Amino acid sequence: MNYAMALEYQNCINCKACEVACKQENGVQLGADKQRIWVGQNEDFIFGNPTVNYYPSQCNHCIDAPCVSVCPTNASYFTEEGLVLTDKDKCILCKGCMEACPYDARFVDDKYVAVDKCTFCFDTRISMGETTTACQATCPTKVRLFGDLDDENGELVQLLKRKKFFVLKESEGTVPKLFYIFPDDEQFAINSIGQDTTIHTWDTFKPLIDEAIKRRDS
Amino acid sequence: MKTITIAGVEINKVSIFELLFNKTMLFSYILLAIGVFGIYEVINERYFLLTANSLDAGLNPGSAEVANAFKEAIFGAGGEVKRESPWTLYISNYIYMIYTGSGIIFIVTLAELLNIDLLKKTAAGFLTFGLCMVFGGLFTIIFDLNTLHMHWMFLTPNVGAGMWLMLPLYMVYISFVLFEIYLLISENKEWIKKIALLILILGISIDIAEYYIQAKLFNMNTARHLWTTYPILPLYFIVSSFLAASGVMIAYSYVTYRDSFKEHFKQLLLLLKKITLFMIIVLGAYEAVSFLFIDKKWANVILFSGFAYEFYIYALLAIVIPFGFLIYRFFQERINNTLMIMTSLFIIVGTYIGRFIFVYGGNAYPMSDRFGKGFERYTEYDIAKDFIFFFPHMSEIYIVIGSVGVVIAAYKVLNTLFNVSKISNH
Repeated sequence: MNYAMALEYQNCINCKACEVACKQENGVQLGADKQRIWVGQNEDFIFGNPTVNYYPSQCNHCIDAPCVSVCPTNASYFTEEGLVLTDKDKCILCKGCMEACPYDARFVDDKYVAVDKCTFCFDTRISMGETTTACQATCPTKVRLFGDLDDENGELVQLLKRKKFFVLKESEGTVPKLFYIFPDDEQFAINSIGQDTTIHTWDTFKPLIDEAIKRRDS
Repeated sequence: MKTITIAGVEINKVSIFELLFNKTMLFSYILLAIGVFGIYEVINERYFLLTANSLDAGLNPGSAEVANAFKEAIFGAGGEVKRESPWTLYISNYIYMIYTGSGIIFIVTLAELLNIDLLKKTAAGFLTFGLCMVFGGLFTIIFDLNTLHMHWMFLTPNVGAGMWLMLPLYMVYISFVLFEIYLLISENKEWIKKIALLILILGISIDIAEYYIQAKLFNMNTARHLWTTYPILPLYFIVSSFLAASGVMIAYSYVTYRDSFKEHFKQLLLLLKKITLFMIIVLGAYEAVSFLFIDKKWANVILFSGFAYEFYIYALLAIVIPFGFLIYRFFQERINNTLMIMTSLFIIVGTYIGRFIFVYGGNAYPMSDRFGKGFERYTEYDIAKDFIFFFPHMSEIYIVIGSVGVVIAAYKVLNTLFNVSKISNH
């Protein structure tokens, strides 16, 4: 199994229902800075017209996750399901993983005095037989689609085969597993994606995943 | 003074009162008291901060504690560190203390290997002070970590992580330096002479390994391009540490050897002057070249934007002004005490600012430009930042002050007992 998520980010209306659902489902510490998932926003003017981009975000569960390699106590680890999780009991709060993460996806949970991050609801939903994360289940505009990259017939892989997509900060070599679906609206794509971004198809990205897994397991 | 000899080492017989209650110790207690206040604040913030999650309200309806935790969540400072800037003043002080202490130890060990008589005579004092600086660094970092979980460093180690490698490194390193000091102050000269060369070579090897691991600690954070694009990071640490160390060694010499090493004090200062000038030139050249390689986003933040003032103050204090002071009548082989003391102080402060910039600079360029369309804001009430800097908590500043107290207290106790600052003739 290799859990991942696709995001049709053009559908995001910034209602924050995903943030609330995540906090509720996973008992995340309250506070504006204490988010396992969040909607990043930027504002710009393009030819005098104001634009706002909403970027739903969370841990990318990278295949080559730098947060795991820097953790001195193996508190950050890979699961057999391809997730990156943290064991709060083992965390010594060195904050090395927070430094290593290129996405600012980790924060200090003051309740447990440990680093916290998105788990794809593994402990609260997926391991109990649910097939969706809380953020996916609650989203009114169906931004997120959680699934298994090893399941070629699954909804997630089928979507990735059907649509173009991109990942964040590909140059960092982390092989992230949040797949942002390339928008249908060309103008929206121009407004919301940087010029250096590589647009992938399943055929171009699948080999990167396989190579990264091989590298990690060797 | 009466002494007892244990394993070839003369130990001064002093009363507890003499050992713990003298001017130096009282000064260190003041600093330590400030540190203890910082520790209290950190423990209070870390372990007793009122926090809540969404379940708490349901499980404890009407609870005043939960209500206050909600209030803290909305109006509070948001915990100890922000997600954008996890490493703070603790790390700056830690690397300053540890790397400078190691620098002193490295320089002295190298001088012993090269048979430089002046530093051989004063080696025990310098090594002990260097080691005490390492203790000061460890004192700082221990309060940055959640020490309640430290046993996992032994139970589930990740031996490839730079952070974990620090643990065996300092266990070996501190033991080794203590052994070196023991050899220096021991009376058993015969067998010491036989193993001296081996010990010195081992000492240098451990010093180099130390700088390699210290660099790995930063280099593994692949997204922080300041740290990954500094050319040959271990070399940067060695060069900058040597300069900081030479500044500290000058100050230490004035305090310790001005009277006791009178006949050679000028020669010692002239030697330190040469070492310092050499290190200033090397560090200056390194910094000038390094910014050709450092990722332009970070270089821009440091040279022209958020950290520009701090960087140029660092360059002035650590490199430019000391260079001017030291080159002044350099070939006349004269010592101007005022200029030497000012050089020492400027270097100590300047290199500290350099460490501060190195740690905070690594976080200064935000990670939030993830889509290539500019910096994002993470919350509704935030603003998009193009430069990340959060002023250190007061508790951190107190602990940093306390760490200076640790250095002074540890050195004073060791010196009172073992007379490490005595001029040795080995």
